[in-house]
Amino acid sequence: MTDLLLENENARKLVKTLGLPIPVPEKLARSKGPYEERPLDEKTVLVCGVGGLQATLAQILTKAGAYPLVVGTSDAVLEPFVGPGEAWARPPRRVEPGQAPEGERVDAIVFDGTGLETPDDLHQLYVFMSPWIRRLNRSGRVVVIGRPAGDAKKPVRAAARAGLEGFTRSLAKEIGANGSTANSVFVQEGADERLDSVLRFLLSPRSAYISCQPFHVTKLAKGEEAPETHVLGGKVALVTGAARGIGEATAELLAFEGAHVVCLDRPADDAPCSKVAQRIGGSTLLIDITDIDAPERIAGELKDRFGGVDIVVHNAGVTRDKTLARMSPEQWDMAVDINLGAVIRITDRLLSDEVLRSGGRVICLSSVSGIAGNRGQTNYSAGKAGIVGFVGALAPKVAKKGITVNAIAPGFIETRLTDAMPVAIREVARRMAAVGQGGKPEDVGQAITFLATPGAVGLTGETLRVCGGALVGA
Amino acid sequence: MAKKKNGWGKKQRAVIVAGVRTPFVKAFGKFLKLDTIDLSDIAVKSLLERTDLSHDEIDSIVWGGVIFPSLAPNIAREIALDLKLPASVEGMTCTRACASGLQAVTLAAAAIERGEADVVIAGGSDSTSNAPLNLPQKVVHALAPLAFGKAATPGDYLGVLAQMMPITDILPKMPKIAERTTGEVMGESAERMAKRNEISREDQDEFAARSHHRAAEAIASGRFDDEVTPVESPEGWVYADNIVRGDTSVEKLAKLRPVFAKDGTVTAGNASPLTDGAAAVLLMSEEKARALGYKPLAAFKSWSYVGVDPSDQLLIGPALAMPKALDRAGMELKDVSLVDMHEAFAAQVLSVTKALASKGFAEVRLGKSKPVGEIDDAIFNVHGGSLSIGHPFGATGARMVTTMANELSRTGAETALLGICAAGGLGAAAVLEAV
Repeated sequence: MTDLLLENENARKLVKTLGLPIPVPEKLARSKGPYEERPLDEKTVLVCGVGGLQATLAQILTKAGAYPLVVGTSDAVLEPFVGPGEAWARPPRRVEPGQAPEGERVDAIVFDGTGLETPDDLHQLYVFMSPWIRRLNRSGRVVVIGRPAGDAKKPVRAAARAGLEGFTRSLAKEIGANGSTANSVFVQEGADERLDSVLRFLLSPRSAYISCQPFHVTKLAKGEEAPETHVLGGKVALVTGAARGIGEATAELLAFEGAHVVCLDRPADDAPCSKVAQRIGGSTLLIDITDIDAPERIAGELKDRFGGVDIVVHNAGVTRDKTLARMSPEQWDMAVDINLGAVIRITDRLLSDEVLRSGGRVICLSSVSGIAGNRGQTNYSAGKAGIVGFVGALAPKVAKKGITVNAIAPGFIETRLTDAMPVAIREVARRMAAVGQGGKPEDVGQAITFLATPGAVGLTGETLRVCGGALVGA
Repeated sequence: MAKKKNGWGKKQRAVIVAGVRTPFVKAFGKFLKLDTIDLSDIAVKSLLERTDLSHDEIDSIVWGGVIFPSLAPNIAREIALDLKLPASVEGMTCTRACASGLQAVTLAAAAIERGEADVVIAGGSDSTSNAPLNLPQKVVHALAPLAFGKAATPGDYLGVLAQMMPITDILPKMPKIAERTTGEVMGESAERMAKRNEISREDQDEFAARSHHRAAEAIASGRFDDEVTPVESPEGWVYADNIVRGDTSVEKLAKLRPVFAKDGTVTAGNASPLTDGAAAVLLMSEEKARALGYKPLAAFKSWSYVGVDPSDQLLIGPALAMPKALDRAGMELKDVSLVDMHEAFAAQVLSVTKALASKGFAEVRLGKSKPVGEIDDAIFNVHGGSLSIGHPFGATGARMVTTMANELSRTGAETALLGICAAGGLGAAAVLEAV
């Protein structure tokens, strides 16, 4: 079902003219086409904060095509931005802290909080950002960068660091109506250069439906050279449940970036699955993932036909909703096995047979309702929450081979499943997101594609929610 | 006809023996009736006369251009045929947008150095005045069956007419200098570069005025007499470049209105104008030149061609090509005696010089720890450039090679660095050395 308030111009106008107390959601800017050399072309990015990331940020932002607007009391703050600015012809400008000059607007705000020492320093968040919130353009971006609280030796420093996350989550809810998002990034000491692709993604329209989320960038997994365009050239990707919905959108986006996508689905879905594979120049693999020999067959096919696999997207999933009291044993088993058991069996096999190559990427689908809990979904939630535990524990085990393992937890995404929901519940679910609307399968696909890129090597063991900043599920 | 020796594969040095060009004339003016082939004929004929070269010695002609006559695009061959050169003088025509003239010359040098030829005439030309107006494809598709098919009945003509509505669909498209991929007019690209590189209107006008003053001085002093041949056009004789304004000033230029953006800085005064003209260069193997009694002017130490993203900074190419050519020549900017850069727009030239002087640019874009360097005003475009002399697209590179080769020979200077930006995000550069 389409979202009338989003898609229907007349409905939008009507609500606005009548002044109805219904917030009309902002149409989110989204990326079309493959990764660009300059994802932030012609954007103005406000850079502020109390850390030592200026030189890194200067390189990342100017190269990505953005004009830095630096907050500071003297031109000395521009210093790190001058060289990179000249290299890419993106000259920096300076603004005084605590005020936004008349007529000046920004497309994104990046706060460098890596230098926070005490909770008093959190005051800088207020000083630097408060004047600019109303000057943030539609589909704007706020990214707050800090160091992981867990790495802090002093509790007081940990407190300051952790404060960034709460601040960002709340800010996300305040700017969501504008189609804007806010996320925090906690980067380990020594992993600063891994910020590059993370910021290129988070500041671009590719992260349209990701808000309120913390990202943890680490040195854990071994990295390789990260291209900026055609980011998956030469890679082989397996996508399960590729016949439709999120799987289809993901397969398409992976193919855009140059990956050869092996589209896997149940034999019964032969027609739609082959169609997707054909359209994107990929291959079809028809296997029921719950079959006892499925892991062996998948590993064998990938090894024989493609010499291995670089990216595995465990997207296939089912719901068998019933309250626990009424649930049949079959319903329980099926939901837990497809959503969790099969994922683990297949991943283990691909690893033990060394079919998953070094530098590989494993991306599992979790779910916001799985994390938050949902009436009638004890089985589903057990499976989807199990995924969170699985990726967290597997990540460090495969890190030295350069393999990362992450989960994606979609929130309310407009698909066949959500179309079947009762109108009232659906409507509430949409508006519960900070951005006031449901996401699209491509939003999840973009997040998966990003995690699949060599540049995302800093992220592993994470569960990334693609939920538009939904109220539930934290 | 003398039989040619087979020198294939022989290693030999290519030298520039002489160069001649027509005056460069504002488009839709005195050269209106001369198309690009006519202008080329004149330049090459004068080159042959001035050098007294026996036609039998010529191996080939390599020509560069941007706007080609659709019925005879291989201008090089047409020149040979028009001038009644021996049938054996083969010809090829190339394009690399505004670097086409330099491309033709370096192709000739490469052919000589490979031993493929000993004597080559290279150059380029363009006549914006004679740019073909293209009919929309809709008209072409409708008319083609009549033009190429069997005899048509009145009914067929009616059918064709019916396909031609509405009338606005079939009007010829006005030619404009726009990027095919981005749709951006080149002046808009220059405007964006001015903004992004923070090049002020004053600096642009000052650079343009300087270009005019230097070119006017060169003309007045007779410096260009060796390289510019008078042309008799149906409108009368043309002796000199007619775009140069020796009496212009920063104040006069400051009065002009920006053309490409309301609050912009690029004006007709600090942009190169549409121009008609041709330039030809005679290249030989050094051995051949000496054997025939010529005194070579200069030779190539290196050249380079690069590409940049046209949707970013369309005309920044020379900032990458010039350091590359210097590297290949084993030189640094401070070592060169002269620098000659094509002046498409004052904003573009100043963007390139700014990038060359930037440490940040050197580090990030060139992987060098030090900036390429600042260009001393005294050695930079010493006789003006495209802003004042004009810019017949295909001819400019050959003009620059000629002027710099003569300059090396006259002044005893050792080396000259050339830089050219071109549509499509191309950059070209070359290092010439005195012989």
